[in-house]
Amino acid sequence: MNIVVASGKGGTGKSMLASSLSLLFSKKVKVVACDCDVDAPNLGLWLGVTSYDAVKPISTSEKAEIDSEKCIGCGRCFENCSFGAIEKIDSNFIVNPLLCEGCGVCRMVCPVEAVKVKPVTNGEIRIKETKWGFPLVSGQLKPGETGSGRIVQELRKRANRIDHDVMILDAAAGIGCPVIASVTNCDYAVLVTEPTPSAFSDLGRILEIVNHFKVSYGVVVNKWDVNPSISEKIIKWSGERFLGRISYDREVVNSIVALRPVLVSKSKVKDEIISVYEKIRKLTT
Amino acid sequence: MRLVASTGGKGGTGKSTFAVLYTLRLLREGKKVLLCDCDVECPNDHLLLGTNLHDGKPIYQNFPRLNAEKCISCGLCSEVCKENAIFWVKGKPPIIFEDLCSGCGACWIVCPQGAIEKEKKPAGEIFKTRISENLWLVTGISKPGISETGPIVKEVKKRAIELARDIGADVLIVDTAPGTHCNVIQALLECDKAYVVTEPTPLGSHDASLILELLRIMDVPSEIVLNKADAGDESVIRNIAERYDVQVTVRIPYSEELIRAYSEGKLDRVVDLL
Repeated sequence: MNIVVASGKGGTGKSMLASSLSLLFSKKVKVVACDCDVDAPNLGLWLGVTSYDAVKPISTSEKAEIDSEKCIGCGRCFENCSFGAIEKIDSNFIVNPLLCEGCGVCRMVCPVEAVKVKPVTNGEIRIKETKWGFPLVSGQLKPGETGSGRIVQELRKRANRIDHDVMILDAAAGIGCPVIASVTNCDYAVLVTEPTPSAFSDLGRILEIVNHFKVSYGVVVNKWDVNPSISEKIIKWSGERFLGRISYDREVVNSIVALRPVLVSKSKVKDEIISVYEKIRKLTT
Repeated sequence: MRLVASTGGKGGTGKSTFAVLYTLRLLREGKKVLLCDCDVECPNDHLLLGTNLHDGKPIYQNFPRLNAEKCISCGLCSEVCKENAIFWVKGKPPIIFEDLCSGCGACWIVCPQGAIEKEKKPAGEIFKTRISENLWLVTGISKPGISETGPIVKEVKKRAIELARDIGADVLIVDTAPGTHCNVIQALLECDKAYVVTEPTPLGSHDASLILELLRIMDVPSEIVLNKADAGDESVIRNIAERYDVQVTVRIPYSEELIRAYSEGKLDRVVDLL
């Protein structure tokens, strides 16, 4: 069973909820938690994890290089690059590694074999046996590198090799490649939102992705009491997909400052999270 | 014209809030401002400004289309596709999965029969809105299901720069997506300065350090904007500021009035918080 936590908008409470769901599921079944937000991985922090048992550099991306001695300056690479990664400086063509996606088109069109495409280490996959009794698999994209979607695919493969009943996936913000790589092949999506027009609008955006991949879903309204009237609107809109609401509590901020899971804090949101979990468990087993 | 970015690594730290507050403050100072919403996957600046988007124009990207009559089922297209977006079984024509396609063009270049044609398809929309005498908003929105949104950001920003020049804007403010990958890199390119908006928690400092690392590689001068400055532990942010040799130049206090103004699309009420 793969359960992904997603939201479109950032900062709505995905990692907080994903860490809590991992803890709660792990009391009954074997869990593996996956931090699929490889741009800005925070699930570990919500579980109090600051170091890992194993860190493996990975290469899921390549970059082109132009040999200036061989280059005849024909400009075909420049014309065919879809990512604007080839720059012309005087009569020389060079690759901007920040923009190169490693697709290899420049090498294919070069008439004099002046282009080489080489694998680069663009991130790492880290594993931690948490003190809560389940493993965390986390990915990290190196700043300035590309290929975040493929790092997510790799870390899911790695996590699948660990014996488990339930995999909890914490997705990135947005609806682009790393999010698509997190949502595909999931059985259920928990969509976390908050009562602001921005978060509600982004909920509609992530829902298009979830529907596109035909993943069943439910909606959680976090910090609902910040604006009860927008919360009511979202709850009505969610209909039978509504999973529950979680209050705004400064104690949640104190938890993360102390690197302590919310569920072991004194926060009043604990019971609300447990009730959301109970619903998800019934829907997914 | 100055080109400045509002970014932050982590989502929900207040990138758009800061971008809009900063825009409104510059307006008060008599500047002409263009705000460009480059968070094309989840754009929200129009909501914060309390305005609707009308008359979007499509942004096109090239995608492959198979002409099955010309295809000889050689499989070369599938072999060169780094995104694994082309599925091929020996003896059969390939199947192209557009969800995975980045539009790089390797397949139509390699095809010996010219059986893969490039086809312009809408990948998103761009909206240009004149909000007031001296304020323009340019918003990009990606089409859901498009995985590679960097090229959309590139196009939106290019057109925003053109418009900013046409109207003689003093400042162009670019609001980026969360994260550090291609869509953010495109938005940060050539910026004169980046404001890294973060919050005083371990999450904020962790993700701010990632974006500061990217900005260092890109050689973009940076400053830190500390949002909800009094809710958490500021020492974690001071540590990374020291490590990357940047200053915390703006502090926005935690404010319920700001939260209300945000959700009502009336941030002009709280410009003084900046």
